[in-house]
Amino acid sequence: MKKRIFALALAVAMCLSLLAACGDNNGGGGGGSGTPSGGQGSGSGSGSDGAYATRDPFVKPEVISDVPRNETLWFNGFQWGSSNGWNPISNEMNNPLAIQQDPDGARLVMMETPYMYNMLDNSMIPLLADGNYSWNTDGTELTYKIKKAALWSDGTKITAHDAAFSWEFGTKYSRDGNANWTPYIADVVAQDDDTVVIKAVTVEHEGATVAANQLMMITFLGQNYINQKAWLEKLIDRNDGDISAMYADAGEDVVFSGPYAPYFMDDVRTILVRDDGYWGQHADMWGKLPTPKYIGNVNYETNAAGDSAIAAGDVDVSQQFIMNVNLLWEEQGLPISTYLPEKPWFIAANMPTAYFNLNSPAVGIDNPAVRKAIAIAADYDLILANAMTNQSPSFGDYPRSLMNPTAPEQAMYNQSAVSHLQWTGNDIDGANKLLDDAGILRNPDNGGPNGGWREIDGEILSFKVSCPDGWSDWQMAMEIVAAAGPAIGIQLETYYIDWSIYQTIHTAGFQTELDIFMFSTQGISPAQPWSRIRALLSSEFNGLDGNWTGNFGQYSNPRVDELIKAIPLEKDSGKLNEIYTELVEIYLTDVPSFSLMYRPEKFHTVNESIWTGFTNANDGRNVPPVNCTVGYAIADLYNLRLVG
Amino acid sequence: MKSQLRSIVRSGKFMTGFVIFVSILLLTIIYPLINPGDPMARIGYDSFRTRPGTYVSLYDTLDGVNTFTFRIPGANDIRISNKLREDDRERIKYWLVEYGKQEEVAGLTEEEIDIEDTVALLGLWWEFYSDEVFVRNLTNAERNAFMRLDVRLDRLFDIDDLQVYTLNPETGEHDILFTEVSTDDYINVSDVANIIRLPLGTDNFGSDVLKKLVLATATSLWIGLVAGTVATLIGLTLGLLGGYVGGIVDDIIMFFTNLFTVIPGFVLLILISYGMSQMERGATTVAVVIGLTSWVWTTRSVRSQVMSLRNRDHVNLSKLSGHSMPKIIIKDILPYIASYVVMAFILQISSGILAEAGLSMLGLGPSTTSTATLGMMLDWSIMKSTAFIHGAWWAYYPVIVVILLISFSLNLMNTGMDQVFNPQLRD
Repeated sequence: MKKRIFALALAVAMCLSLLAACGDNNGGGGGGSGTPSGGQGSGSGSGSDGAYATRDPFVKPEVISDVPRNETLWFNGFQWGSSNGWNPISNEMNNPLAIQQDPDGARLVMMETPYMYNMLDNSMIPLLADGNYSWNTDGTELTYKIKKAALWSDGTKITAHDAAFSWEFGTKYSRDGNANWTPYIADVVAQDDDTVVIKAVTVEHEGATVAANQLMMITFLGQNYINQKAWLEKLIDRNDGDISAMYADAGEDVVFSGPYAPYFMDDVRTILVRDDGYWGQHADMWGKLPTPKYIGNVNYETNAAGDSAIAAGDVDVSQQFIMNVNLLWEEQGLPISTYLPEKPWFIAANMPTAYFNLNSPAVGIDNPAVRKAIAIAADYDLILANAMTNQSPSFGDYPRSLMNPTAPEQAMYNQSAVSHLQWTGNDIDGANKLLDDAGILRNPDNGGPNGGWREIDGEILSFKVSCPDGWSDWQMAMEIVAAAGPAIGIQLETYYIDWSIYQTIHTAGFQTELDIFMFSTQGISPAQPWSRIRALLSSEFNGLDGNWTGNFGQYSNPRVDELIKAIPLEKDSGKLNEIYTELVEIYLTDVPSFSLMYRPEKFHTVNESIWTGFTNANDGRNVPPVNCTVGYAIADLYNLRLVG
Repeated sequence: MKSQLRSIVRSGKFMTGFVIFVSILLLTIIYPLINPGDPMARIGYDSFRTRPGTYVSLYDTLDGVNTFTFRIPGANDIRISNKLREDDRERIKYWLVEYGKQEEVAGLTEEEIDIEDTVALLGLWWEFYSDEVFVRNLTNAERNAFMRLDVRLDRLFDIDDLQVYTLNPETGEHDILFTEVSTDDYINVSDVANIIRLPLGTDNFGSDVLKKLVLATATSLWIGLVAGTVATLIGLTLGLLGGYVGGIVDDIIMFFTNLFTVIPGFVLLILISYGMSQMERGATTVAVVIGLTSWVWTTRSVRSQVMSLRNRDHVNLSKLSGHSMPKIIIKDILPYIASYVVMAFILQISSGILAEAGLSMLGLGPSTTSTATLGMMLDWSIMKSTAFIHGAWWAYYPVIVVILLISFSLNLMNTGMDQVFNPQLRD
């Protein structure tokens, strides 16, 4: 048994090791294994006769808000607060069940991307695209074809023009002007009705013209939806091209390509209904429709309420953190399981991180000694054991750096060169010494504990430590960080804000409300660890409103920016190792943010009271555990069946 | 006065409440003396998993402790029954039957498997079960459960002696520290150097729940006391002034009293607490805020009682004698309403404690890192964590019981006093 688990872990590690080697054309790498139908990655023409497919337009069935339990797959943990609409171009919909475009894959239930990302083996499996993508000889143009079977819900054909216009729309009408992509993608053009060409931003490197970052171009394929050109034009027209108005447009009439259609939403539920005319039932794609007729997400007020719901079987798939998740089956015998049958139960790849807001007026936050003292005083073992209930590895297992705890990333920097900078936490003496040496001393007259609060220029060091309210594991982590405050003479008070407000503050171009605040990092995607490091440290995001990508604390360091630019062009693994090591060194010295824990890429806990057939590490299907909906995980929906 | 005190002491209700209340109060004073240490210390590295009980250092158990050999018949049965539970037999049969159906194996039908025959049942299990076999009709949760059961069963008859090694840093080899720990070996618990007694286990932060509960009770009592005092003082002063002086003073006081009557006190409390930073929300500050928002009903009652008293003969006599207003209020009015005020004070303490609990459950109590209150313990165990899902009753039931006992005892004392002082209720 143990051998088996070890083998399993090894297999996962080996799969993830492809991360390191990615960058070349890996399209279709996972095709065929565990897929419900053939055709993926084959590179063959779409219809068996090569003809375009047809379908009747989708007609929304009559809404019954009380959908039958045994026809509905219920999720929780996707969102907090009620949804606002179905508009796929807006980030104001708060409707992640229908719309979510992350580096580790997009949610593919309503809208679709050309390729489905599989984080297990870092492969791109064709969805709207027909077969593998290809590069031109100098690697500056990526080409793929659209499947002939692929159709919009209104019955029209999905064409390369839709893909090209989706890009054009993003650059012209999105708030950030596609800022995450424009440094790497110059244009997306339609060569003909079926052929899409993605043109790289090029740079001169060692005498040749090369793509600025091929990995980001690959990531783009699995992250960005293709929207219908006709619908986007309608959206522009009815809102007179006003970006704010377009973002606020609920998009009730959205034309989609995915297997599920907008159906119902209220304050607590968002439900989509299966489109029985979905193009993907064509033999060239899945060969059938997904099993559940309805899929829905339920909003719960807190983790605790959501956890009770999955324990009770009211929810089938939970993306929430569940305290002591294993006890649900080990002690209570509930029909609940996770991807891995044993500890740590999930695949850890994320690193929720506390950011120091360098724009905050709080005295001392701009001082690296203060930041590092707070970071090394926190008790991470306690956070892991008490907040995470051991659902991920520790900083003892994988010393902190900029890398996630997967083997390939860990091998990408020189650990021994930075070991003197790494910390495992709970180092109160070290923190006090650091502050004393920096001349930031306690003032015995201000009534603080252990000889007074520390002061700079007569002002007490006092910071608000924040995370969204109700995210109880994060709150617990923040309490543990704050608990070290009195011991090091720094006031750390916890401050929890409703998520709907929190998300507007932490993504703002300038904010002074949060001092130390928590958010996730990027986990797995084709462009890691580079993309995560860019998101953690690059100054290109500073001052950008609606910045969801990263560097929320607005750190700026020209040397770091230079190194981040150099990585995508560097092919020599030894030199890459040096660059990554230098970045880790700077990160652990300047401490613009510090990770609080390793964490699963996505929590994925299933209750098999109603449905079974979910992915797990033993089933050999190679479907990633990302809630049956993100990237290639959508394959799970075709494998589900009712229990018994 | 003496006779009234005697009546109070004779009141069964009052005395029951009094004894409960004093016991709780004494516990908060004595327990920290007999079990010193920081109640906020986070000793446990888990969340709601450390059950109430006595914990013996595993290291010390093996390291240099006298062993005693007891040959007790049935000891192995206990060991086995601990691993092969009642329902495991049913589950083994369930797997075998499903496997038999899928692979069409003879002898693996519902009728042919006898779960009472342990040897035969386990024989079949070990013959057919493998975690490599994929039984289609099972859910993944069931498959995982069978894998865990198999591991447990594998160790069932594995009762070989254990050997404990220690790494020798000089040679780099493993020296036998303790050889042949046999299933018949026992130790005397009092020989073990390190034993931790956790009568109520630990909570999500790994703190000793009993210690924290005692601290929280003390804090909550303090909050109740301060809140009660503030509310009673304000209510009493305004009630006396309004009731006795009357006129414009009464009108102004009643204007504010009515204003605060229509604004729910708890909503006001939430708003004020929300407006304060966590550092400002110490236990005493929270108590004062509670007091400031709960004086209204005391004012109204005291005022109406004073209004009926101010025209009594003895008060008029005092006025004619030229006594000052403060003197009249203190000497001629206050003694008549003192019993009522004391009873109101007791209820204010109780409602102050409940208000704190409510406030803290909304996350607006004192800072979690600075102290513990009964409300905050409930907040972390029920609102923010899922102690109830995992059956960690020790994290919240004792808190609820203490809140219940405090408010029950205070209400009993109040009812007992009411029966003595209220002529309509007097026996």
